[in-house]
Formats: sequence, structure tokens, C-alpha cells
Amino acid sequence: MSVDTLRRELARRPLLGDGATGTQLQQLGLVPGSCGELWNATAPDRIRELHRRYLAAGSDLLTTNTFGGTTFALGQHGAAARARELNLAGARLAREVAGDAAWVLGDIGPFGGLLEPLGETPATDVTAAFTAQAAALLAGGADAILVETMSDPAELTLAVRAARSAGAALVFATCTFQKTPSGFRTMMGTGVAEGVAAALAAGVDVVGANCGTELTLDDYVKLTAELVAAAGGTPVMVQPNAGSPIRRDGRISYAESAAEFAAAAPRFLAAGARIVGGCCGSTPEHIAAMRAVVKG
Amino acid sequence: MASFPDLTAAVAVGNRTDTVRLTQELLAAGTPPQAVVEAGLVPGMAIVGERFRRNEIFVPEMLIAARAMKEALKILEPLLIAAGIRPKYTAIIGTAQGDLHDIGKNLVAMMWRGANFQVIDLGTNVSADRYVAAAREHGAHLVGISALLTTTMPALKAAVQALKAAGLDGTRIVIGGAPVTQEFADEIGADGFAADAGSAVALARRLVGEAA
Repeated sequence: MSVDTLRRELARRPLLGDGATGTQLQQLGLVPGSCGELWNATAPDRIRELHRRYLAAGSDLLTTNTFGGTTFALGQHGAAARARELNLAGARLAREVAGDAAWVLGDIGPFGGLLEPLGETPATDVTAAFTAQAAALLAGGADAILVETMSDPAELTLAVRAARSAGAALVFATCTFQKTPSGFRTMMGTGVAEGVAAALAAGVDVVGANCGTELTLDDYVKLTAELVAAAGGTPVMVQPNAGSPIRRDGRISYAESAAEFAAAAPRFLAAGARIVGGCCGSTPEHIAAMRAVVKG
Repeated sequence: MASFPDLTAAVAVGNRTDTVRLTQELLAAGTPPQAVVEAGLVPGMAIVGERFRRNEIFVPEMLIAARAMKEALKILEPLLIAAGIRPKYTAIIGTAQGDLHDIGKNLVAMMWRGANFQVIDLGTNVSADRYVAAAREHGAHLVGISALLTTTMPALKAAVQALKAAGLDGTRIVIGGAPVTQEFADEIGADGFAADAGSAVALARRLVGEAA
């Protein structure tokens, strides 16, 4: 598997992403609030298990356990100095499990703050952090970089350009939207057309959406259609949550079941999505439920 | 002739230049600084909060409005301090232990300052003990705690229970964050729940006894 085979396969057929990482890590014993990325170094067997579960469920794309892997995000846990080590390890572990059966997406999430002039963080610092992260992910064997959960088109642009400058041949970018009276908008007020345009201008190969508080699968079908309309032929990737979290008897579960994901998958494809996966609360069962429809 | 509604409107759209100019004009005309805050600036931020709650405006517009108010406060604060006038209410704010997501918490802190609360921001990953200590030390009327992760919601419960056990009768506790619900707030005994920074302002004012 290589970036060339990924590019070729993406042109040939829809691809199946993977599901939530956090949910699985918690099931594997991660203490709430602690740094999941540290497990790339301290508990690699559990990260291999995470990836194995999704591979077994049929995922074509394994996302590295590096969502909070910038120096900014790791710095909140006192682990900024380990950024390269943890991103490298994260990519290697996914690569090892993926083998010839799947591709590895090097995962880059938000840096956690707001860019100047609205916020306090200079663009140059954020670019440096994203570039270093992308470089480590590629060095560890990622086939492509996924920039996800973006709310600010400016941050998305910095991350995509950073991934390119680090040498990524394929870059995916997805935004996180919420429902508002004026349609789907990120928390920064960016609409679908604007978000997609920013991603395309930054030079992505795949554009889309992931996550989104209170978005149902029905909402996501509508969102998919809007993304496709705005993307002008660039492949669209969608990774919905398994609904909103529900607390019952002190336990958390997610509203949308695997069966609901199975029913939604053909609707995403009919709306034009080329890659379908899951975000918060989704599990290998949710992914497996979509396998037959997405992979045929 | 500058008026309170003019100032309110300037803050609401985040027009920093007009906000500063109108503040100075009102002061020059002999308006008490406290009135400028309460009748001019605070209603402007209340409008912003309401629009945000309705998803008519978003984070950038809120931040720009807050910045406009902050510029006005730079002029007003020395005058208020000299007259011995301090915000009537004090709020403590932070995120739940184990939770580092602070953008939402920062927006609420900003909106509460915009409502003329004194806000002491304890930052992220704050233990129950630190909330109790800070509430006691500052005589807080309000403590706000947020959580973005479902896994840090138990820490919300621990903090609320510690605050109630500490016997701080004058302190109201409010919680918020994406996975938090009114149902959860009721279950753990919080005094209130706000879904976003906009709603958090009306809630805060109601809980301390002001008109919302």
C-alpha cells in the first residue's frame, strides 16, 4: 500500500474509514482526561489492538492516534518535548497493523487555541507545530495526512499547507459544523461553501466533514449533499458521530446504533460521498455495519 | 449627543472606535462611569450573548464585541477604582478536572465580564478542592465549571458536591459544555446549566438575582 495505490483506489471506488479513537482507548483503559497520544510510547500493544479492531471491521483507512499531537496540545500534558517521538510512533503502529490491507492517515487535529488576530497564537508558531507533526507522521509511514475537526478556515489552511511543505503527497481536510438558522456553520461561523473553498484553495485532495454536536445522521446526509455541491469534483469524506452521548445509570452510550449507520451509509454514497467513516462514539461495530454497502 | 443606546449598539456590533468615542463623550457630558458600564456596555454584551445563543452570530463576532467593551473598560476602570466602585458580583470559572478544552470556558468568562461580574479564571483541569478554596477566598456568588469530554463529567459532579458540602450558601453553581445537559445538572445538584456562552450570561444574572 502506498500513496499511489490510495490515490488510484480512491478514484475507483468508495473507501471505508475507521471510527472513534477516544471511545476505544477508554474501553482499553485510558484514564479520563489523560493524554491518549502517550500510549503510542507507553502502551503500543493497546494502540495496535485499536487499529486491529478497525482493520477487522473492514476499514480501508486507519487513522493514527495523534489527534492531539501538536506541541501545543501535548504541552497541556507536559509532553511537548515528545511530539516527534509520539507522532512517529503513532504512524509506525498504524503502518504495522495496516500492512498491505489498509492505508494510514496521519491524523492532525486542532492546535487547541485561536489564531491571531482574534486569538493569542501567531500563525508562524502554529505552522511550525503542524509542519513538525506532519513530518513525523510521514516519516513513520503515513500514506496521507488528515487534517480534521477544523472550525477555522485559516487554521485549516495553515495545517494543509504545512502538511504539503512536510512532503505529504495526499492531504485530506474535514471541518466540524453545527446546525444554525442560517444553515451548517462551524463555531467560527464558516459555512459549507466557504469551508470547502478554503480547503480547495489550500490544495487538498479530499474535503469533507467530521463530528458536530447534535448533528443526526439525517443532518449528515444533507451536509454531504452540500459538501459535494461545493467540492466541484474533489472527493468528499464524511465521518459523523454516533449521535449525541446519553447518560443512563452513570454509563455513557451513543444514540445512533450500528444499524442506523448501516442504513445511513447508502444515503451518504447516494449523496456523493467517496469516503465514509465515524467520529465520536462510533465503534468497530458501526464501521462493520457499513462495510458491505461501502465496499461492495 | 452620545446616548446609552448608541453605545449599546456600537458594542453589539463590535465597533471599537465608536465604542471608545461614545464612552468618552458620555463621560465628558458628566455621565457617572458606573452608568456608562451598566446602561451602555452591559446591554450591548447582553445583545451579543443572545444573538450567539440563537446562532445568529459566532465566535469571531463575540470576540470582536468583547474587545470593543474591553477598550471602553480601559478608560472606565481607573475612574471606577478611584470612586471605590467594584463589580457587584464575583464569579469563579474553570474547566473540570482532567479537561483541557478551554475555548468555551474563555467565552463564558468574557461574557460574564461583559455583564460586569468580576471573574476569576482558574484555568483548566481544576480540582474540586481548588474550586472550594477559590469560592471561599473570593466570596464568590457564582462558580462556573465546564467539561467538553463525557469522561470528565464525573469530575463536574465531584466539584459540585464538594462546593455544596463546603456550606457556601451564597454561592450558585452552574455547569456547561457540549455533553452536559439540564438533566445532568439537575441530577448532580447544580443550580443551573447553560448550553453556550450566550445563555450563560442570562443564567448568571438570574441566579444572582438581577433581571435577566
